[in-house]
Amino acid sequence: MEYIAISTGFALMLLGLWGILSQKNLIKIVLGFTIFDTGINIVMVSIGYVKGKAAPILDVINASEAANKIVDPVPQALVLTAIVIGLGVTALMLVYVLKLHREKNSLDINSFKDLKW
Amino acid sequence: MVGPIYIIAVALGLAFVMGLFGKSLKNLSEWAMLAGLGFMTFVSGQWLLEFMNNTRAVETIFTAGFKPPYSINLQMGIQEAFFTFIINVVGLLGGIYLFKDLKQTGPNAMMVFLVFVMSLNVVVMTRDMFNLFVFLEVGSIATAGLILLNNNGNALQAGMKYLIATGIISSILLVGIIYAYYFSGSLNIDDILAANLGASKVTVIAVFLIYVSVLLELKPFPANGWGIDVYTAANPGIGALVSAASASASLFVLYKLASLGGAEWLNYIAIIGGITFVGSNLIGTKQESPNRLLGYSSIGQIGLLTMIVGLSNILGEKMIFIASGILISHYAAKAGLFWLSGIINAKDIKGWAALRKSPFLLFLFGTFVFALIGFPPFPSFFGKWELIMTLATGGHWAWMVTILVGSFIEGIYLFRWLGYAIKLDHDELPDFKIEWNKIFPVWIMAIVLYAVGVYVSPLTEGGMFINYLPLMFVLFLFAIDFLPIYIKNTVSIGGIIWYMFHIYPVLENDLLRLIFAGIFLIGGVLTLMAGYNKKGTRKGFYPMAMMMYAGLIGIIESSSMLEFFFSWELMTAGSYFLIIRGKRSLPHGYSYMLFSIGGAYAILFGFGLAFASGFDTSLAALGDINILPTLAYSLLAVGFMTKTASLGLHIWLPGAHGEAESDVSPMVSAILLKAGVFGLMLLFLYMDRASAGANNLWYVLGWVGALTTLVGNMSAAFQEDAKRLLAYSSIAQLGYILFALSIMTHLGWLAGFTYTINHFLFKAILFLVVGGIVVKLGTHNMYEMGGMIKKMPFSFIAVLISIIVIGGIPPLSGFAGKWLFYNAILEKGWYFQGALIFFSGIVAFLYLYKLIHSIFLGQLKDNHRTVKEISAWILVPSYILIIGIMIFSAFPHWILKPIETMIAPYFSSQALMWDGTKALTSYGYWDGTTIMIVVGTAFVLLLTWLIVLSAKAKKIEQFNIVFAAERPFRPETTHVSYNIYAGYKKALGFVVAPGITIFWNVVSTFVLEVANWFRRIYSGNMQNYALHVVLYIVVFYLIALGGF
Amino acid sequence: MDYSITKFLWTLLGLFIVTNWGMLMSSTMRRINARVSGRIGIPWYQPWIDLVKLYSLRTQLTHGTMFYIGPVFRLMGGVGMFLFIPMVYGNPIWSNYSFSGDLVLILYFQFFGMLGMALGASEGGQPYSAIGISRGLSQFTTIEVPMTLAVISLAIQYQTLSISEIVAAQQGGITTWTMWTNPFATVAAMLSLLGAFGHSPFNLVKAPNEIPIGPPTEYHGTFLGVLRTNGAILHVAEAALFMNLFFGGAGSWFELIIKTFLIYFWSVFVGTVFPRFRIEQSVRWFLKVPTIIGIIAIILFL
Repeated sequence: MEYIAISTGFALMLLGLWGILSQKNLIKIVLGFTIFDTGINIVMVSIGYVKGKAAPILDVINASEAANKIVDPVPQALVLTAIVIGLGVTALMLVYVLKLHREKNSLDINSFKDLKW
Repeated sequence: MVGPIYIIAVALGLAFVMGLFGKSLKNLSEWAMLAGLGFMTFVSGQWLLEFMNNTRAVETIFTAGFKPPYSINLQMGIQEAFFTFIINVVGLLGGIYLFKDLKQTGPNAMMVFLVFVMSLNVVVMTRDMFNLFVFLEVGSIATAGLILLNNNGNALQAGMKYLIATGIISSILLVGIIYAYYFSGSLNIDDILAANLGASKVTVIAVFLIYVSVLLELKPFPANGWGIDVYTAANPGIGALVSAASASASLFVLYKLASLGGAEWLNYIAIIGGITFVGSNLIGTKQESPNRLLGYSSIGQIGLLTMIVGLSNILGEKMIFIASGILISHYAAKAGLFWLSGIINAKDIKGWAALRKSPFLLFLFGTFVFALIGFPPFPSFFGKWELIMTLATGGHWAWMVTILVGSFIEGIYLFRWLGYAIKLDHDELPDFKIEWNKIFPVWIMAIVLYAVGVYVSPLTEGGMFINYLPLMFVLFLFAIDFLPIYIKNTVSIGGIIWYMFHIYPVLENDLLRLIFAGIFLIGGVLTLMAGYNKKGTRKGFYPMAMMMYAGLIGIIESSSMLEFFFSWELMTAGSYFLIIRGKRSLPHGYSYMLFSIGGAYAILFGFGLAFASGFDTSLAALGDINILPTLAYSLLAVGFMTKTASLGLHIWLPGAHGEAESDVSPMVSAILLKAGVFGLMLLFLYMDRASAGANNLWYVLGWVGALTTLVGNMSAAFQEDAKRLLAYSSIAQLGYILFALSIMTHLGWLAGFTYTINHFLFKAILFLVVGGIVVKLGTHNMYEMGGMIKKMPFSFIAVLISIIVIGGIPPLSGFAGKWLFYNAILEKGWYFQGALIFFSGIVAFLYLYKLIHSIFLGQLKDNHRTVKEISAWILVPSYILIIGIMIFSAFPHWILKPIETMIAPYFSSQALMWDGTKALTSYGYWDGTTIMIVVGTAFVLLLTWLIVLSAKAKKIEQFNIVFAAERPFRPETTHVSYNIYAGYKKALGFVVAPGITIFWNVVSTFVLEVANWFRRIYSGNMQNYALHVVLYIVVFYLIALGGF
Repeated sequence: MDYSITKFLWTLLGLFIVTNWGMLMSSTMRRINARVSGRIGIPWYQPWIDLVKLYSLRTQLTHGTMFYIGPVFRLMGGVGMFLFIPMVYGNPIWSNYSFSGDLVLILYFQFFGMLGMALGASEGGQPYSAIGISRGLSQFTTIEVPMTLAVISLAIQYQTLSISEIVAAQQGGITTWTMWTNPFATVAAMLSLLGAFGHSPFNLVKAPNEIPIGPPTEYHGTFLGVLRTNGAILHVAEAALFMNLFFGGAGSWFELIIKTFLIYFWSVFVGTVFPRFRIEQSVRWFLKVPTIIGIIAIILFL
């Protein structure tokens, strides 16, 4: 199970990266970026996963034996934070895309090469 | 004591509250932000002060009441205090600088600004890995927000590129962190570091991912297109923050994590830093846009610092001093430059000529450029010095070369830029507004540079002995720069004379230094006297002239290598500004500077080898170099020869001396060149005479000297420009001196001293007088002059006497040099070099005749009929020097005898004997006094005879001649001067074919073309930049872990 | 070092002898030249007549101070050469003031007169003067190359730069002369001498028919007289120098006269055979065969 998760995670990361590097449309690039992020999040969760243990929610499990029964809670906490940050970055990117579109009326990445050398 | 947590609390709280401000409070938000930044600065500053006074231990702050690994903890030690302080200072100054821009955009921008500075603080202080990630991300988002301050297409594109690239990088970091956590079981940095993840083949992946992402944050060459675009397009105020604050924080992250992987990884870090330093600077050489250029420079400097972090094992405890010296210089200079760029707002670095409208800004610009290159008295100078010395101690030659090459390349574009600002025409450039809030931060940064420089100098070995007194005098002259010339001139002369009395007792028993001190100081007074001739205020001249003299005398006074190098660089800086003052001196000042920096780095390398040989910092260390001695000697010799302009390194001189102002030419020719001679003398005396390397070097230098004289003299003969002719003559004279010193015998050195003294005397006269004439007649071209003997008889006599000395014609002192040469050459057995030297000596007559004939004899031109004698302020110093020549000629033993006694201990045989006024060697004899008497008597008798015979000779008018069966009436057609040696050129002109100039041109074109080729990778396409980042990761992986 | 009046008067006598011998030598050479071309030539006393005429001409014009004292410099050059060269070996009276300096002094004192002359002539503003001087200087640079090499070779051979000592070393018959012991140096120097005397093919400086008489074009009357006087002294002095260096010196005035005549004749002899070089040909010529010979002369003593 954990191998499926982690492999999926890496596969998504590669897929996202491929999207970022190959797509010409800015929106698609941003989408590639979110897929990339999602892949990372899955990788993180799967790294913290321990076979046969429950989610680290103390309502369900008795606090005194929690340490033995739950998976590592830290990666999950990190993922939550990472998702929030990813959201912020994605939002900012989209704002940029919007502004860029206004600027040149185009979403093609090749029309934004004014700065070089 | 305010806890460091309040830095974060205040920033966050304020940012939060700002969002709630109503309309009425909106106007206050600006001040609130500054107050917040001020408070943050205060807190970190307070901690820094405490740590520096050693009154505090490292403070760890635990959040949420738990100890790590169960909570996030922050740390405040001296390093954190230092970094947060400099970040907050530049944040505060940047806030002041951007006052109006932020106000225009509104409180939202200010919130972002506060969050930006706060995030960097946390990045520095945090000891938690994930926290680090979060605040790096916060910092990135805030940066992307601040980029929008410049709401234009370019900024948008740059911001987008930045977001994509940092997005990928931080994702990689996140994966690395997760692995690090997985393997070490903690997110606390100290725990992770302790887990020694680099040891296992499995866990090393975490090390790799963290390093590669942290390094990518530092924008390594060439995967940094996204970073450069930010510098290019963002508001320069933001550029300053990114360059000074963000980069410092990222660097500190790297430093924090330096021990993550172990020694092997440090090597990679150093290599990546080195490549970035050289590569980024190289590409900068082709850059014309100021902000983008600053971007390349920033990345280069950060590359250097990355390299220093990577070398931390090698540098040991010196690392902190070195890194902070270079960091502070980069930080202050780069922030200041970005801010200046924002004030001037030019698209092209040529537009910076507008700076001259405000001399103070120009002063600031110069300060920053010199601080970046590492000139004294700035902290980077001491940092680089310690860096090179420490690297040399460990025998890390490749690193030393990398640093020096990178620094040199940086000099290529920085000094081109500075030259443009000083020299290019600025009349048509648009005016710029100077607002107090924009100038104030720049000033602060400049003051920081000077203050820190002086503060850190005693921390280096030998640095405490540096004499800052002359520099104070320079500063004083800056302060009174608005006064008229005659006051400043008097003050300067007074200063030098006072210093003479001050230094005489010190040097009384050291004749070698006394002679050079005499040349520098007496020469200084005499050449300055000519300055009374000028009118107006002559802004900037006196501080720079005094800086040069301060450097010169510092070289004499120095007892340690550091002092010597300090003074050497000071002299270079001063003379650069003097040389570039000439009307058409832009390219010449530039090439002078490049040769000087190159030479200085060669010297630095040599000093490094000397230091490494015995850990001795005094100049005596040159005496027992046992590590690569031949290389060390050669490098030092080459370094000094850039100043003596020996063949191959001479191409800067003709233009620099020829185009300089009339009283600057004698300073830089008669006086400045002697600094190189002094350096060579010191070096030669210290060199190990038993070693084959030293003897081979002397042999080669002997030939170089001989060829230099030939090329110099012959080139001079083909010049039409009077001052260039003299400049080539200087090259040749210095060739004689190099040759004489390389002989390394008692007689050879006597000849060397004779030439040194003579060259000082006659070249000062010639440049003073000819310079005065050039100004008076308004042309450099000798064929446009003529017949001046009737208008300027005193100048004629001065030039005539100088010429007799150069030619070595008895009875004047030039002959002493020739005679000593003959004896020295025979004794040494350097017959063919000697023959070449004498051949060149006769070639000299070609230019001597051309000079005096074309200016003073021949036909007077119509437009010069009303010209009068040149100013007495030029003639008086010249005639004082003539008195010197006469004394030296009639009583050579007065000067040569003491010199002989002085150098006797260094040479096995005392080859010269004295019998009264008669000098004897095993070969021949010469009696200067007798010759003077015989020739004088005979001359008077013969003259009397002629006067008796033709007492009634009648003076006739010009043109009273018959030429080609016609009485000419146009001086232009009758004055034979232009290309007078056409036949000679046909026969032997190939000797002076501009081969060396072509060589250097090819070299420079090659460097620029390589830069041009490399910079094509910055195609502007953001996807390419993302690809670069990915490829960088892949390649780094393959090299570090893939077994390549 | 003898600064006495007696010494001075003896030297003056020597100068008188040399001047007259120089004039006689020049008229003889001109006669030889004339015979070669099938003419009779001038009477032997012609130079004295010329000199008297020149010194008594009424027209005396000057272009300025330097022009005026130029000839004095020139004459000083010749007289100085005479003063610093020991004329007759083994006789302190006829060794003049050679105790003030050695061979190097002579080599550089040559320039004294040349420079003064060049400057004086230049002030006249006559283009021919400047052209002649530029040619002379150009040519002189390479004339001196074989000479310098020969002098160095000599100094290595005799381990001295003192002319008297060089002469002393040659006392002992013709096989001890430098000519015999160091033939390469002698050849190099004698080829260089051709240029120094300025006869064809190296007569570029005065170049008759081309730039009238070059530097002294503007000089006339007394000034020209001074220059002629100098010419007479200089030719003998230079020949005497070569005699001292390569041909065993002179034990008496008679020997001096014979030897200087032959040395001078060598250049006249070559001059009657070869036509004039162009400037670049002349400059290059001295750097070819004579220089190579000079180098060989040094290599033999290495």
